[in-house]
Amino acid sequence: MSEKKQPTKILDVKDLKVSFKTYAGEIQAVRGVSFDLYKGEVLAIVGESGCGKSVTAQTIMRLVPSPPSFIKEGSITFDNKSDITKLSERAMEKIRGSEMGMIFQDPMTSLNPTMTIGKQIAEGLIKHQGLNKEQAAERSVEMLRLVGISNPEGRIKQYPHELSGGMRQRIMIAIALACSPKLLIADEPTTALDVTIQAQIIELMQKLQEKTETAIILITHDLGVVADMAQRVVVMYAGKIVEEGSVDDIFYNPKHPYTWGLLKSVPRLDLEHKSDLVPIPGTPPDLFAPPKGCAFAARCPYAMDICLQQDPDKFEVTNQHKAACWLLHPDAPAVEPPVGKGGKVHA
Amino acid sequence: MLKFVIRRLISMIITLFLITTVTFFLMMNLPGDPFGEMSQKMSAAQRAVLYQQYGLDKPMFQQYLQYMGNVLKGDLGVSFQYPNTSVNEKIAQSFPASLELGLWALLIAVVIGLLLGIIAALNHNRGLDYAAMFTAVVGVSIPSMVLGPLLSYYVGVKLGWFPPGLWDTPKHRVLPAIALGFSTVAILARLMRTSMLDVLNQDYIKTAKAKGLSQTSTVIKHTIRNAILPVITVLGPIFVNVITGTLIVEQIFSVPGLGKHFVQSIQTKDITMIGGLTIFYSAILVVVIFLTDILYGLVDPRIRLAKGRK
Repeated sequence: MSEKKQPTKILDVKDLKVSFKTYAGEIQAVRGVSFDLYKGEVLAIVGESGCGKSVTAQTIMRLVPSPPSFIKEGSITFDNKSDITKLSERAMEKIRGSEMGMIFQDPMTSLNPTMTIGKQIAEGLIKHQGLNKEQAAERSVEMLRLVGISNPEGRIKQYPHELSGGMRQRIMIAIALACSPKLLIADEPTTALDVTIQAQIIELMQKLQEKTETAIILITHDLGVVADMAQRVVVMYAGKIVEEGSVDDIFYNPKHPYTWGLLKSVPRLDLEHKSDLVPIPGTPPDLFAPPKGCAFAARCPYAMDICLQQDPDKFEVTNQHKAACWLLHPDAPAVEPPVGKGGKVHA
Repeated sequence: MLKFVIRRLISMIITLFLITTVTFFLMMNLPGDPFGEMSQKMSAAQRAVLYQQYGLDKPMFQQYLQYMGNVLKGDLGVSFQYPNTSVNEKIAQSFPASLELGLWALLIAVVIGLLLGIIAALNHNRGLDYAAMFTAVVGVSIPSMVLGPLLSYYVGVKLGWFPPGLWDTPKHRVLPAIALGFSTVAILARLMRTSMLDVLNQDYIKTAKAKGLSQTSTVIKHTIRNAILPVITVLGPIFVNVITGTLIVEQIFSVPGLGKHFVQSIQTKDITMIGGLTIFYSAILVVVIFLTDILYGLVDPRIRLAKGRK
C-alpha cells in the first residue's frame, strides 16, 4: 500500500451540492463535497447507506436522473478540461463509456437480460472507437480474456442468465474498461457478491488497475475492501465529507468520532482479545431539513454544545489528513480515540 | 424446445376435447326446440322425420359420440336454421371478413398503442404523458357502439373521407378497423407505458447510459425489447378477440362477418352452429396462445432455455 501520487490530476470536485426535488420538499443528498483524484490512484468513498456517496459518484457521470435531481452548486473538472456539471447531454455521451466507466452494485440486474454478453461489451466500442461489428467482437473476446473469463469465444454468445454473479461482475468490469477510460467508478462492486467472489473481484480490479493505470473511485461501506485497494479514503456522512486522508491515516489515526464508530463496527479476527461489535446508535439525520450544527452530533457520544450550534470546518491534522470535528479545535477537551489502540497494534 | 412443444400440443388437445364436451352437453340442455317457430307449424309426424334426420331422437350419449366423431373429422354439422348449409360453410363464408377486419384493427392497435405507451413513458409525468394517457382513458371509456356510429356519421357521411359502411374496397376497411381497434389501443398503450417505466428504472438501463449510448439507442436497443414482453402475453387473447368478429362493429358497418352468427345462433337455438362456432373460437384461441408462448420464448432468451431444459 505505497503512496504513489502522480502529478496528473484526473478529477477535481469542488463544493458539489446535489439535491432532489420531491413533492414533500428538497432532499439535500450531497451538501458541499470537495475532493480530487490523480492518475493511477484509488480513492475510496465510505459511509453508511444514504450518506450521498452513490449520488456523488453518479453525478460525476451525470447518471442521476434530472429531474428530480439537480446540481445546485459546485464544479466537477475532469481531466483538466471542461466542467462536467455544465456539459450538454451530447457532450456527456462522448465522455461516458470512453473516458469514464462505471461498475454497479448488483451484477444480477445490471446486464440487459435479452442481449448477448458480446453485444453488450461491443456497444461501447462501436460507439466510441468506431469499430465495425467484427472488430468489436474481437475486442470483446480480448476484454473477456483480460477479466479472466474462460472460453471467451463461447461466452460472448451467451446471455447474462447463463452466468454466475461473479462472472457477471467480471463482464461489467469488461464493459466499463472496454474503451480504456481514465476514470473508473466502482459503486459498491462487491456488496452483492459472496465473500470468496468478493476477494476475486477485488484482486482482478487491482491487477487491471496496475496494468492500465486507471484512476478508480471505489464506493463502499466495506472497510476491508478499502484497506485492500485504496490509497486515499474519504468518509462521508449525511451528504458531507467528515474525514479524509490516506488509508493509514484513516485506519491508524482516525480523528472523527464517526470514523471511530465505523471502525468499531467492523468484525476483527486479528485482535488478541475478543471484542463485541459496537454499532453506532441512532440513525442519520433527515436530509429534508439537515441540522444546523454537525450532522453527526445527535449520535456522537462526545458531542459538545458547539456541535449542535455550528457545523465544524475541516481541521488539518496533516496536509492531506483532514477531519470536520470540533474535537480538533485547540480549545476542545482531549478525547482518547476508542479505536486507536486496536489499529496501533499493527502500526 | 421440442419437448415443450409436444407437451403443449397434448394439453391443447385435452383443452379442446373438454371444451367440445362441455359445449355439447350445455347446448343439448338448452330449453326450447332447435327448429324454433317452424316446429309449431309442423305435425308430429313431420317433426319425427326431422328429428330422425338430424339424429335428435337417439339417446344423448349416442348423439355425443356421433358429434365428437364428426368434429374429429372436422365436420361441425349442418345448421338448423339455414337448411342445407353446413356450419363449416358458414364459417368459410363469414370468417374471412372478420379475420381481415380484426387484423387491420390489431395492426392499428399495436402500432398506435405501443407508440403512445412509449411516448408516455419517455415523458413520464409531463404533458405528453398526460395527453397519451388521456387518449387511452377515452379509448377505454368509449364503447365501440358509440364510437362506431360517430365515425360512420361524421367521418363517413358528413366529411365523406371514407365510406360509412359496407365491405367492398380497401377504403371500406378503415372506419370499422378504427372503431374495433380503438379500445385495444388504450389497453396496449397503458400496458406498454407501465412496462416501459418499469424497465427504464432497471439497472441495466443505467449500464447502457454509462456506456455512453444516446437516449435513442438506449430506448431502442435496451428498453423496448424488454418492455414488450408483457404486451406479447396479452396480444394472443386480444388477437383472437378481434379476429373472431364483433357483433356491434360488424352490424354498424354492415361487415359480412362472423359476429352476427354468434348472436343469432344463440337466439334461434341453432345447436350445431353454437357448438361449431364455440369450438372454432376455442381452437383459434388455444393455437394463438400456443404461438404467443413460442414468440415469447424467441424474444426472451431466459424462457427459451428454461423450457428447453425441462
